[in-house]
Amino acid sequence: MKPWRHIRSILRNLFRKRQVESRLDDEVRACVDMMTEEKIAAGMSPSEARRVALVEFGGIEQVKQSVRDHRAGAGMERLWQDAHYGLRQLWRNPGFALTVVLTLALSIGANTAIFSIVNALMLKSLPYPHPERMGTIYTRVTGPLPSDERHHLNGEQWELLRDNVPALISAVSGIRPAGVNLLTGSQVEYVHAGRISAHYLDVLAIHPLLGRNFSNTEDLPHGPKTAILSYGLWRNIFGANRKILGQAILLKGEPYTVIGVLPDGATTPLNADLYTALQPSRDGEGGGTNFEAITRLRDGATWQEADAEINRAWSLRTNRYELENNPGAQVSYYSVPLQKGQTATLRPQVLTLMLAAGFILLIACANLAGLTLVRVLRRTPEIATRLALGASRWQIQRQLWVENLLLAVLGGAAGVAVGFLALRGLLLLLPERFLPVASVPLDIRVLAFTLLISLLTSVLFGMMPALATRKFDLRSAIGTHAATGGDHLRLRQMLIVCEVALTVVLLAASGLLIRTLIHLQNLPPGFNPSGVMTATASLDDARYHDAAAFQKLLTDSISAMRRIPGVEQAAVGLSLPYERSLIMGGLAISDGKEAGQNAMADEVYITPDYFIALQMPLIAGRAFTEADDPDTQRVAIVNRAFARKFFDGANPVGRHLDKDMLIVGVVEDVAMAPGIDPVAPITDEATMYVPAAQMESRQISVVHVWFQPSWIVRTSKPVEGLTAQMQRALASVDPDLPFSGFYSMRDLLAKTLATQRVEVALLSAMAALALLLSTVGIFALVANIVAHKTREIGIRIALGSTTRQAMVHTGAPGVAAAFVGLILGLISCAGALRVMHSVLYGIGVYDIPTILGVVIVLATATLMATIVPTLRIAGIDPAQTLRDE
Amino acid sequence: MSSKSANLLQGTLDLLILKALGPGELHGLGISRRIELMTRGTFLVKPGSLFPALHRMEEAGWLSSFWGESENNRRARFYRLTKAGKGQLEIETEQWTRVAIAMTNALKSA
Repeated sequence: MKPWRHIRSILRNLFRKRQVESRLDDEVRACVDMMTEEKIAAGMSPSEARRVALVEFGGIEQVKQSVRDHRAGAGMERLWQDAHYGLRQLWRNPGFALTVVLTLALSIGANTAIFSIVNALMLKSLPYPHPERMGTIYTRVTGPLPSDERHHLNGEQWELLRDNVPALISAVSGIRPAGVNLLTGSQVEYVHAGRISAHYLDVLAIHPLLGRNFSNTEDLPHGPKTAILSYGLWRNIFGANRKILGQAILLKGEPYTVIGVLPDGATTPLNADLYTALQPSRDGEGGGTNFEAITRLRDGATWQEADAEINRAWSLRTNRYELENNPGAQVSYYSVPLQKGQTATLRPQVLTLMLAAGFILLIACANLAGLTLVRVLRRTPEIATRLALGASRWQIQRQLWVENLLLAVLGGAAGVAVGFLALRGLLLLLPERFLPVASVPLDIRVLAFTLLISLLTSVLFGMMPALATRKFDLRSAIGTHAATGGDHLRLRQMLIVCEVALTVVLLAASGLLIRTLIHLQNLPPGFNPSGVMTATASLDDARYHDAAAFQKLLTDSISAMRRIPGVEQAAVGLSLPYERSLIMGGLAISDGKEAGQNAMADEVYITPDYFIALQMPLIAGRAFTEADDPDTQRVAIVNRAFARKFFDGANPVGRHLDKDMLIVGVVEDVAMAPGIDPVAPITDEATMYVPAAQMESRQISVVHVWFQPSWIVRTSKPVEGLTAQMQRALASVDPDLPFSGFYSMRDLLAKTLATQRVEVALLSAMAALALLLSTVGIFALVANIVAHKTREIGIRIALGSTTRQAMVHTGAPGVAAAFVGLILGLISCAGALRVMHSVLYGIGVYDIPTILGVVIVLATATLMATIVPTLRIAGIDPAQTLRDE
Repeated sequence: MSSKSANLLQGTLDLLILKALGPGELHGLGISRRIELMTRGTFLVKPGSLFPALHRMEEAGWLSSFWGESENNRRARFYRLTKAGKGQLEIETEQWTRVAIAMTNALKSA
């Protein structure tokens, strides 16, 4: 048969059904009439003739049905009928359908959203050609203080890597992009600039859309100042002007020649708006570990060769910082795939979330299995009737499969929608530049994964009823009208035990994270955070490399801000509480019994009123004054942690650091983000404050590459339009210097605790979802017992049981299952939560308030899920029930 | 009808219908009578097999149908061979003849 003819027949049979049917009807009737006439002609009476003709014909309906069964598209029509019937069944039982679809939608949605992020972070290969040939270098230290992680490189390491490792194309960049000022016409734009070495774009295999990459000469210290623009910046700020190549743009107060434009969609691990040459060297910035390396294996080379070359090259170094304070340590280096290196810090969190999403799916499956089981039991009489009326087992099973698939498809579609929304919400929740990837699309692989989950779930819970119909005893099924065997109750209770146990683990985990966040947020800050507004600006600017110009900017801008009505204090500091600070190593203690020891501490330059503006209490000595200037004694103030760590808690006022720097005071510790030893998200690190006025030109230009200093004002009461007035005050001193952002201390705290907040929000959402699903499970169990035992309960009440006793009797299986689940969950917590040790601060893994909270939440949920359905018992009329018997 | 012979018989039925319609158009009952006549009463085609076959063959494009008047002036559905149907008749006749000769020889030689 020609395919088009077949399709046309199918379409006609499906869509012009009435016409096709009426033709069949006429034809069959005509035939019977003809046969009847023949019989009459042969001498039969009309009624006898018709009867005989009908018998001979073989039944009008049977013939018609047999024609229908042979029509083109008959299978499709049967499927359609099944689906139609299935939809009607679901419609008749909307509570069941809604519960199943919602359960599927929520669990699949949660999984889709989480998996999208996992996919973007870990599965999707990096957006560069041959990502498997790209790597970075890990340092493995064995010995008394072992470690195994990605280290930043210093200038010496970089030169050795570049010159002595021929197996790799290597490149380095600054550790993170920094905010800089770009002057375009009369407008100053604050943009993110990445600093990259020559060949950085070669490692990424990015070819500029226009122009070229940085050359080796441009990457030498003091080489020509050049820039490469990202496509977005080129289009948005320079109007996609092709003549921009070779022209100078005013960046950081200096002309930079544009030598290239990156293609549309090209991203780098720095994800910056524009790039300048890093120009690394062995001193200055390169004296410390301030570079981040990426590598690409050259054609024909192997990773083994590359690792051998790296180890050989770096063993020649003069400065082996890994061995400092770690006697007897062995150091080796090895390459890891770039993807792993880039995502290593987020990996544990993401895996935790994935585990939680998996829990949710398991809970959902258990719920669905329980619900479907009940449904099949409830439909036993219907199925038995259909079997008795001649339906084949295959027909019944097909019907059940179609119904389950319908639910799965509905749930899957809803799940994709929920997942899409959840992903959107999730990405909004994450702070900017939190994920090291440019975008997290809901891609085809995620959709395939979701579909697979939805189908698998359908198979999982579709199997049971299908199996149940196989061993179906027709007689007993029709005979009994309630078929809740003890086996099924036990099975459902076990499902609920598992659900509740998983829920308890999730609840406890999120409870611990919440307690950690509360602990961190309520740490004593060490200063007065209310009434303070801060603003940052980039001083990575040629005009402020000179100490005198820098000092004049600070003095003039601070006095301009003091003139704003309502402002009590104004000051500037290189960094603020709650923020990361500049780390200085190799600060020698110059006198006393600790003489010769090297200190490593945070260093913050400040103007004299910094402590007063932040209300940081001075413990000993004095604060800085206007008299501490470049021409007087170099001075420093240390915090309590510094004195404790390096002077054994003794008063260090009068002692000297770094040869001739006199310690003149001690201040209280403030809460800050860790830079030296990341033991907690907020800590009190040893810190040294120095007067901004005593900063040398050389230091100023280096620290401002990494840090944007902050202006601080303290007001006694809220001031209308404070930020605009601060901007005007700064503009009155330098109209080409914009503030890049304004932050209250609350904002800074939130920024520092962003990771914790995200963790808490996500895990709590998951725990709430798990609790909801488990509650639905318990509710469904008890509601079902009530529905099935109406007769039994009626008899019990008739025999003298009180309603309360009946309620307890009916609700008991649900409560018992929840209780066992709770105990099991708490036991599993003991093992499972130990892995959370590293993300908990201020509380232990076995936290009594958390456990109590979990027990209370779960008990409340269980009681509600049990009591609500048992309330129906009060409405049972024993007389009615007995009459029904 | 056992399930083993279903295919053979279905093929036979199709061929018989095609053959019956060879001389000209007929309605359902007429086809059934003609087959009975042609096979000297060996094959009695019941409506339950005839009508599904007719509809199937029409969908396949071998037959076309139209409303007409029967010998006693009754409205009836008439069937006739299409061009494809005539071709099919030739093909099936040839196939059947080959099978029949082969079967006859096979049975004789034993």
